Amino acid sequence: MKRRTRHGGLVAWGFAAPALLVYLGFLVYPALNSLWFSFTDWDGLSASYNIVGVDNYTSMVDDPVVAQAALNNLIWAVVTVVVPVVLGLALAVVLNGKVRGKPVLRLIFYTPAVLPLVSVASIWGWLYNPQYGAINAGLRAIGLDSLAQPWLGQDSTALGATMVAAIWLRVGFPMLLYLAALQGINQELYEAATVDGAGRWQQFWHITMPGLRPAHYVVIALSVIDSFKVFDLIYAMTYGGPGTATQVMGTWMYFNVFQYNQAGYGTAIAVVITVVAIAVSIPYVRSQTKEASA
Amino acid sequence: MNDSVLNRRRFLTLTGGATLAAGLAACTGTGGDTAAAPAGGSGNGSKELRLFTYEDNSTIDLVKAQVKAFDAQNGTTTTVDSLPGSGAAVYPDKLRTELLGGKGPDVWRIWGGQIGAPFVKSKQAMDLSSYYTKFGWDTRLNPAAVQGMTFDGVKGGVPFIVNGIGGWYSQAAFAKAKISAPPKSYAELEDMNAKLVAAGITPLGAGGKYGWHVMRLFEYLLETSAGPELHDKLLTGDESWDRPEVVTAFTTFKKWQDQKWMPAGAVGLDPADVELWYVQGKAAYTITGSWTEAQGIQAGGKKSADFGVFTLPTDHAPDRHSGFVEGYMVNAKAGNPDMAAALIDFIVKPDTQKALKVTSSAVTGAEPDKSTLPLSYEYSQGAGKQPFYTIQDQAFPKKQADQYFAIQSDVLQGKTAPAEAAKKMQDVIKGWKK
Amino acid sequence: MTTVAAPPEKLKPGPRGGFGTTVGMTIAALVWISPLVLLVITGVRPLADFVSHGPLSWPGTFTLGNFADAWNIGNFATTYRNSTVLLLLKVPLGVFVSAMLAYALAKLRIRFGAAIMYTVFLGLTIPIYITIVPVFVMARSAGLTDSLIGLVGPYLAFGIPFEVLVLQSFIRQIPDEIIEAAKIDGAGPWRVFLTIVLPLSLPALVTVFILDAVATWNEFLFALILLNSDASKTIPVGLLNFQGQFSNNSTGLAAGILIAVVPILIAYTFLQRWIVGGLTAGASKG
Repeated sequence: MKRRTRHGGLVAWGFAAPALLVYLGFLVYPALNSLWFSFTDWDGLSASYNIVGVDNYTSMVDDPVVAQAALNNLIWAVVTVVVPVVLGLALAVVLNGKVRGKPVLRLIFYTPAVLPLVSVASIWGWLYNPQYGAINAGLRAIGLDSLAQPWLGQDSTALGATMVAAIWLRVGFPMLLYLAALQGINQELYEAATVDGAGRWQQFWHITMPGLRPAHYVVIALSVIDSFKVFDLIYAMTYGGPGTATQVMGTWMYFNVFQYNQAGYGTAIAVVITVVAIAVSIPYVRSQTKEASA
Repeated sequence: MNDSVLNRRRFLTLTGGATLAAGLAACTGTGGDTAAAPAGGSGNGSKELRLFTYEDNSTIDLVKAQVKAFDAQNGTTTTVDSLPGSGAAVYPDKLRTELLGGKGPDVWRIWGGQIGAPFVKSKQAMDLSSYYTKFGWDTRLNPAAVQGMTFDGVKGGVPFIVNGIGGWYSQAAFAKAKISAPPKSYAELEDMNAKLVAAGITPLGAGGKYGWHVMRLFEYLLETSAGPELHDKLLTGDESWDRPEVVTAFTTFKKWQDQKWMPAGAVGLDPADVELWYVQGKAAYTITGSWTEAQGIQAGGKKSADFGVFTLPTDHAPDRHSGFVEGYMVNAKAGNPDMAAALIDFIVKPDTQKALKVTSSAVTGAEPDKSTLPLSYEYSQGAGKQPFYTIQDQAFPKKQADQYFAIQSDVLQGKTAPAEAAKKMQDVIKGWKK
Repeated sequence: MTTVAAPPEKLKPGPRGGFGTTVGMTIAALVWISPLVLLVITGVRPLADFVSHGPLSWPGTFTLGNFADAWNIGNFATTYRNSTVLLLLKVPLGVFVSAMLAYALAKLRIRFGAAIMYTVFLGLTIPIYITIVPVFVMARSAGLTDSLIGLVGPYLAFGIPFEVLVLQSFIRQIPDEIIEAAKIDGAGPWRVFLTIVLPLSLPALVTVFILDAVATWNEFLFALILLNSDASKTIPVGLLNFQGQFSNNSTGLAAGILIAVVPILIAYTFLQRWIVGGLTAGASKG
């Protein structure tokens, strides 16, 4: 890897400084302040606590909920990254092309992302209601009575049902980023391809997809991290239940810090979430810094 | 402990954490050099108080009016901040952050049992024993409610609401299933459920998101199978849960789901929705507190006369129901604790309670208004005078309560057999007591 | 390399052959929006009707009275003003300083660029919950609790990582030749940034602006923790006024949510034209 020797020097730091200072002061510094408590048995309220070393980290191994939460996080990451990104990409391409009413369509697919989560939880709770909900009613109407079930009320379906709501919410995000990225692709490439007789599908694979490569990186990186941090949607929709069936690391951290008076343990979970997410970001940062020096 | 403080301070210095150290020191008083910082919104001996509560828009103005009356009598200035909402999560988070940040309110409203307990155990809330003596609260307040605000022998709060859980039913549903009167024994209750199912009506409207109704049902079944004495010992961990009475309760519990005496997938339903089903004609009854008369029946434009309330029959004497308390606590570092206690004393006067329209007051002589809330009045005069056991999400710390509910959820889904559930429950209690 | 002035959308060839797609997309959009029908219906029925029939029934009567009630209960006259002030203070500033940092990362070959990127990623990954006590302590020592100004710092900080990562990715795509050409013409780094980098990144800037505006408008936790008095509350905190301990004013809440989201949707409709609106002269890769 060849690096250019000439750096931006002070000018570059001048551009970087305002954002970095605010960021370090209001985010990194408070976070580091909390880091200490992951090595203590602090209850989150008292004046006193004991230092317990890495006990909080080792006891995660024996916590069955952590195992469940980690597995759920993994499932959640795969589904709520892949599906919204693919759907968002498809929507962006279609809504950047020849369709009537594009502004309205773009509005509709983005609208769920704007709603406060309290309303998302209510709406989907109503839809999933086993007796009166629209989803079971729809299944019964088309003769699939056997598929009607208490979606949020049993371990086997609760996570899946919550992910459907997450997909509904999240599609607008990749759609917007891809729409913006599509504007950077040279239209002449399409015109030339059309002249050469390339079909739309060929154009998509040979012009659009390569042109969106930088966008793929950033969309996927952001989506993956978001999926690791997921907290509030699950909290609002299922409260981690039934039982602990929909606990993820984010909710389990919250329950420990704020509800179980185990701030030390909860903070340790937060540290683990952060470390895993950082590890996942390594390939992305590498790809970016490599391109810069290429 | 000195060690840990030292280490903490050294660590914070290393990370440049002086602000947090100062903040923690200000509120916990461990810092020595910075401990002189004022603790609450009020200075020493000041005439300024801050009251933090979770009243919603239907009652907040009543509270503000009463506080104003108190200010007028005492020459104080009291700020009332309210954070409405289903609360049990959001409100304590905010309260806790303010206390840790050294800017806590002087007086705050809180639930009893294990929700209020951490504030007293961590000594953020003041021991109010001397004020109990001074104002004679012991004789003016429901003794069981005072018990719910006493933590390890410390009177850390003053209760003003004691909510009892009863069966609230629709007369129309009972009539449709040809049920002439509410059940007097557990066997009658089961008969009644069977009749309701036969008439095509879901008997119990129960939603278990957050545990709520489903947990109320289980604790009732446990009281029925174990009886008051054993039930209390189970709750304190003085008797093992791995015993036939508990297995019976879990077995019966599963029966309620299997016989469709409560809705399919009840554990995933939002209690705020399902609690209204008996008003909407989708279920025959629910198990809830007196608030449902104003917020369910009357808010739905229905008449109290078309509904009724009964005590869930336990076949034991006394016939206890589950209940929980709410009250006020005083900041251990309040600038003027005497004035804060005087404010609480003002609030728990019967006249103030009536002006606040409290439907289930813990204050003697502040019964619900018979003409506007006939069912709540009826309940307060009957079951309301009976002793109660603490609802189990307040009898246990939140963590154990959640584990308890997870076991119940597994039993309902057939993933855990009743005998196994009793064993698991014993493990939970052992883990807590350890 | 070529510089293309993309024609405005209107002038592009009409939706020739797009009929099938249009029908398909319309159906998909109807499915997508259908859950919201529940919210709208709840917002236009009387509370008594909702309580006595449940959310999934057809209303017996319709009313617009919920909106007037919700306006008062949610204290929207105040919360609207506060949320708008906060958004106008925070979002443009946040996007601007993020763009500056993104520019430094993408084009100025700043030293320790990779380290800065990792640090920025750190900010995306830290759960907001573990920072609230220290942030509260900081705000208190600065005397900024219960003040909108006290929210600006944390809001900026939690918006920056995401904005920087998106913007640096887009700014990287700007051909170096354009920047070099400007430099030869004597433009300094500021002029390059303001006259070349920002205009060429417009679709990304608008996208980030929208996403950040929505996040700011809906931010709940910091607002909840730092604000106390009714006079300083923002919209998400005000929405709590519809929730009671045991029951919710569901119709009021639905109306309140509609009141809260409509302006942001209008702003979105307006702004999205700038993402795709063909204002990006010179958007091409060499």
